Amino acid sequence: MNFRKIALCVFLLLLVPLRSALAICNESTASQADLDLWNTHGCWQDFFLWQYQAYDMSSDDWGNRGWDDACNVNKEYPKHWNASYLVTYGLADNWQFSFHGTEDYRGTAERWDNNYHDDIYHSPTDDTSIFGQWIYHFFGSNEVQTSCLLYDPNLAPNANPGSRSGDFMHEGWHGWMDLWGWDNGSCGGHRCGPTGNCTVSNCDYFYFHGIGAYAFGAMWQNDGTANRFHSPNQVQVEYLCDVADFPQWWVPASVRLAAQADANTRASQRFINGPGYFCGDPRPW
Amino acid sequence: MGLRKILALVVLAGSCLAQENPNPPNRKASLAPRATQSAIQRPSEFDQKRLQPAPSLAVAPEQAKEAVPRFIAWAGASNVKQREDARRIIAEARDNQAVASAFCDEALRSQRTDNSRSLLALSILGEMRSPVGQECLTKLLHQPFPEKGTSAQGEIVEQTALGMLQGKAVDGLAYLHTRAADEEVLWAAGKHPSRVVRAEAIEAYLWNHQDSEEARETLSRYIRPDEKIFLDRVRRDPGDSAEVFNRKLAVFLKAHPEAAAAAPQKYPRRKAPPSSQQPPAR
Repeated sequence: MNFRKIALCVFLLLLVPLRSALAICNESTASQADLDLWNTHGCWQDFFLWQYQAYDMSSDDWGNRGWDDACNVNKEYPKHWNASYLVTYGLADNWQFSFHGTEDYRGTAERWDNNYHDDIYHSPTDDTSIFGQWIYHFFGSNEVQTSCLLYDPNLAPNANPGSRSGDFMHEGWHGWMDLWGWDNGSCGGHRCGPTGNCTVSNCDYFYFHGIGAYAFGAMWQNDGTANRFHSPNQVQVEYLCDVADFPQWWVPASVRLAAQADANTRASQRFINGPGYFCGDPRPW
Repeated sequence: MGLRKILALVVLAGSCLAQENPNPPNRKASLAPRATQSAIQRPSEFDQKRLQPAPSLAVAPEQAKEAVPRFIAWAGASNVKQREDARRIIAEARDNQAVASAFCDEALRSQRTDNSRSLLALSILGEMRSPVGQECLTKLLHQPFPEKGTSAQGEIVEQTALGMLQGKAVDGLAYLHTRAADEEVLWAAGKHPSRVVRAEAIEAYLWNHQDSEEARETLSRYIRPDEKIFLDRVRRDPGDSAEVFNRKLAVFLKAHPEAAAAAPQKYPRRKAPPSSQQPPAR
């Protein structure tokens, strides 16, 4: 082999980490909802030292996105663990009212090989043609990516901790589909649309169920029929609804309002057999 | 083979393997994240300290521009225990035109830079039931709906952003219970370009008219024929017990068998690498 070509390959390889180091989201600001939630926990080091392991995050992926500035809420990694904080502690888990429990949502979002999915890890992307995506890897853990649309409030309304963690549910549920061998369609893991009552290009079915139909910790259950099943957008809507309507008492109003708006937006336009539930009531405050 | 060439080949081989292995050794050996700020103790120890009383909106006109951001900061951080306090103070400010105008300014100022802040300001303005608020909410509702923008997974992000805010504006208009505001809500229910806003308008009109038959009949004259199912949409009211919600759901599913989801489909579980990863035949 030509030694010059080898040297060129080595040089190009060295450029790869440099390229990822240059690409980041807008780190000059955070949404009102991110700031308000942040102020409920501040720089809680014990939590983020647990969180990065629970979500299998690494400095390779997040090193230039707040990894060494983990309490600067303007940056991506702090925003990520801000959202994880909401998943981990923010729900009331009221069996009389909540769709599902913290155990379900944590099981969907966190890294572990469990009933919800095979191993996953969380990474960032600058690709703003997506909010996030689940990537299958034959070798090693599958990957949950979240994009700048979930971090930069100048880019999208989803740059808030409720919507960000809602995307953890959505992408994690693609992992559930993979684990249990379900084909949810060929448009990015969804049915192609617009179709039926779905007005966008990536559509799901809403598998309606009552409160209490799933014990907490049983959201993963399926019986092979539409009677006991969930789709990615549905899990996302139910989670956002639980954040909006039955959170822990200390969850800030700005977080609840944003979660409700996201839930109802999705429920109105992403389901073939929709609309999905309307969360909360339309009273302004 | 020279040592330099061997070393170069090892590096090249390592790069090929790295592309197949998404968990190279340095993932597991990742250094922990760290912060420059001082760490705190458990957040629960500070919960009670953060329960601040609501700031007043009973201010002179020249003080409105300072009072409103102060109230927004408090309101955004407030929790469910403080909801009624917030409602009381907002209602008391109904006739304060300067305050209402300042909330409107804040909502419009932040609509492109912080959707959650704009939602907050609009929620407060809607709750206020103020004539100045009605004018502002109507103006926002009729902002031109973008036809193009950033496309992300099947939606135009700018449409979603404005749709959410216009949906919140419709909530405020419906809450006013005035004839002119109701006309705007009914217009939105049938004619707004966004499904998100139409859906919110339908729900807001129904809820503000106690889900009456009369309200349903009125709406059915305005809404699109293919959106009549929204009249029966299941709402999870915060006070609904499981029994109440489940009953609503059963009624909905009986009235709309077409809302039953299709049976899920299986795909063969991957058992081998894709054919492109197979070695060539010998």
